[in-house]
Amino acid sequence: MRRAFPPHPVPKTGWIMSNKPEYISGRLERWLIPALIFGFCGGAFWLTTTFKKMPPILKRGIQPSDFPQLLIALLVLLTIFMVLKDPIRIKERLQNKTTGTIFLFAIFAALTSIDLFLALGIAAGALAAFWGERRGHVLAIITVVMPIAIFLLFDQVFEIRFPRGLLTNLWYG
Amino acid sequence: MEPFFNGLIALSDPWLLMLLLLATVGGVIIGALPGLNATTGAALLLPFTLTMEPIPAIATMTAIYCSATFAGAITAILINTPGTAASATTCLDGYPLAQRGEAGRALGMAVVSSTFGGIFSVICLMLAAPLLAQAAYKFSPPEYFALTLFGLSMLASIGDGSAIKNLIAGGFGILIAMVGVDNLTTVERFTFGSYQLYEGIGFVPVMIGVFGISELLVQSQNLHLKREAVRMNGVQLPSREDYAKSWRTIVRSSGIGTFIGILPAEGATVASMIGYNEAKRWSRTPEEFGKGAIEGVAGSEAANNAATGGAMVPTLALGIPGSATAAVILAGLMVHGLQPGPNMFTEQADFAYAIFWSMMLVNILFFVIGLRGAKLFARVTLIPIPVLWPCVFMFSIVGAYALDQSMFDVWVALISGVIGFFMRRYGFSVVPLAIGLILGGMLEQRLGQSMVMLDEKWWLMLTRPLTLLFLVLTALALFGPAIWGRMVKRKSPIESTGE
Repeated sequence: MRRAFPPHPVPKTGWIMSNKPEYISGRLERWLIPALIFGFCGGAFWLTTTFKKMPPILKRGIQPSDFPQLLIALLVLLTIFMVLKDPIRIKERLQNKTTGTIFLFAIFAALTSIDLFLALGIAAGALAAFWGERRGHVLAIITVVMPIAIFLLFDQVFEIRFPRGLLTNLWYG
Repeated sequence: MEPFFNGLIALSDPWLLMLLLLATVGGVIIGALPGLNATTGAALLLPFTLTMEPIPAIATMTAIYCSATFAGAITAILINTPGTAASATTCLDGYPLAQRGEAGRALGMAVVSSTFGGIFSVICLMLAAPLLAQAAYKFSPPEYFALTLFGLSMLASIGDGSAIKNLIAGGFGILIAMVGVDNLTTVERFTFGSYQLYEGIGFVPVMIGVFGISELLVQSQNLHLKREAVRMNGVQLPSREDYAKSWRTIVRSSGIGTFIGILPAEGATVASMIGYNEAKRWSRTPEEFGKGAIEGVAGSEAANNAATGGAMVPTLALGIPGSATAAVILAGLMVHGLQPGPNMFTEQADFAYAIFWSMMLVNILFFVIGLRGAKLFARVTLIPIPVLWPCVFMFSIVGAYALDQSMFDVWVALISGVIGFFMRRYGFSVVPLAIGLILGGMLEQRLGQSMVMLDEKWWLMLTRPLTLLFLVLTALALFGPAIWGRMVKRKSPIESTGE
């Protein structure tokens, strides 16, 4: 029978109270994570077989594929140990705020094609609003003032040139 | 002795002094903010140091390291939330003291013991690092390979993950370090034909991702937590009675912290736990621990700050990071074109001593700032998460971009942040990943050099006494805890029968 998730945690004060090691799930992850690691190692090992081989006189001790292959073998061995001795367990379920934040990262990535600082302002403002900030002036500071301040700091003090875009073109001309 | 005084003279630069003051205040703020710690602070600061000279750049990062480690105590005592993991044990007695209306007394003891621990460890650093470097000067590639391997084996016990998961994370870090052109043979590996991967994946964007952006995602899980600060009137210097009760603990914890810090990869968190436990074990009133024992605050805080100086010993003398923050500082040294290791004390001795003196100064600075400004910094802890973390996000992205002025690094930071979050969620610490990434290339290079030197007969490494010693230590670090655990398990039924 599928185990039910506990209700949403009651607001607590402090760190010690909020850090109870209660494991709630992990049946899927227990196998999925090792499977992902094995898959990754398999793919990486296959890639190492495509590396160029050096003639004995130029190989300088080891072939370019030797060390990665040794490491991948070690990773596979450690993952087997992990499955047997220390399986994956999760303390709390993934919250909507977290998945939403990752989604905001994707929106930020898409918006950078228009302008990096436009994307930064929108993403940071949306993040603050999504996480519960409702004060208009605070949102305006995060969305408008902070990106401009960071841009000026890096452009003028650290002399960093940012990629051209809709807004940065106004500055760079 | 000349570099010793040259290093001190370097500190007479007013610009450097101002920078150290700003970095100390910044470090105290970073350490006081829950979720942000010395490692994240140093990683976010790294791009800001790019335009600086090496001494101000690295001195600023070490200032953040020392002051943020101390400042974790402010939130630990006032809101029962350690600003850094190293201050977790400070909560155990600091918060009960604050609840009794003695927050100022607890903070005063935290300031004094942190300063003593920090200065003690910097003196040890000044003495031990050149000696260690002198010994390491005679190392050849097999010794270096075995030493790097030993440093990596210590990853098993770092961070909050289990030993096996830590080693897997470290292994992935080393594998990421393999991306790009092989230094020994110039063969392309895992580049998929992309010119951006030709020089490998930079460790600065990865560090910004795994320490900064992954923490942002962790904070998104904690939005329901409420923070309430305990009221306090001001920080009080410890009374004569408190000194009499705690001075032995402060000295003992400073020694423990420095020693733990010197061990590769072990940092302030482990040091504070051992410092606290030993304070309790040696106390005349162990029953008071957990209920507001002033020695508990002293034991934890002296140890975690002593670990900062200790961690810099292997970082500067051997190029093996002594802690997660030291790994970021090591990355900073490399970005500035400096090669940590024995040569640093012969070719760049003035630089090394300038760093030592700046750490000494920072410990004195945060003593003053801690005493005078703790009440003010306590208010910083109440900055709402929805305001703080979007700003951290912007600095992370711009910082990742700034290093090579490449959007590719921004994607690396974002992706490693998401991966880092899921690693932490499934019990893998991200610290081994970062250290593996830094040491991976070095490990392979030294293995290759050893193989050339030993005519491809790897077993000849075992005939070299120092190499053998480091390999035995590696085996002990990897298998020792498991063997010891089994021995204790077997022994326990007999002990229980005896009772």
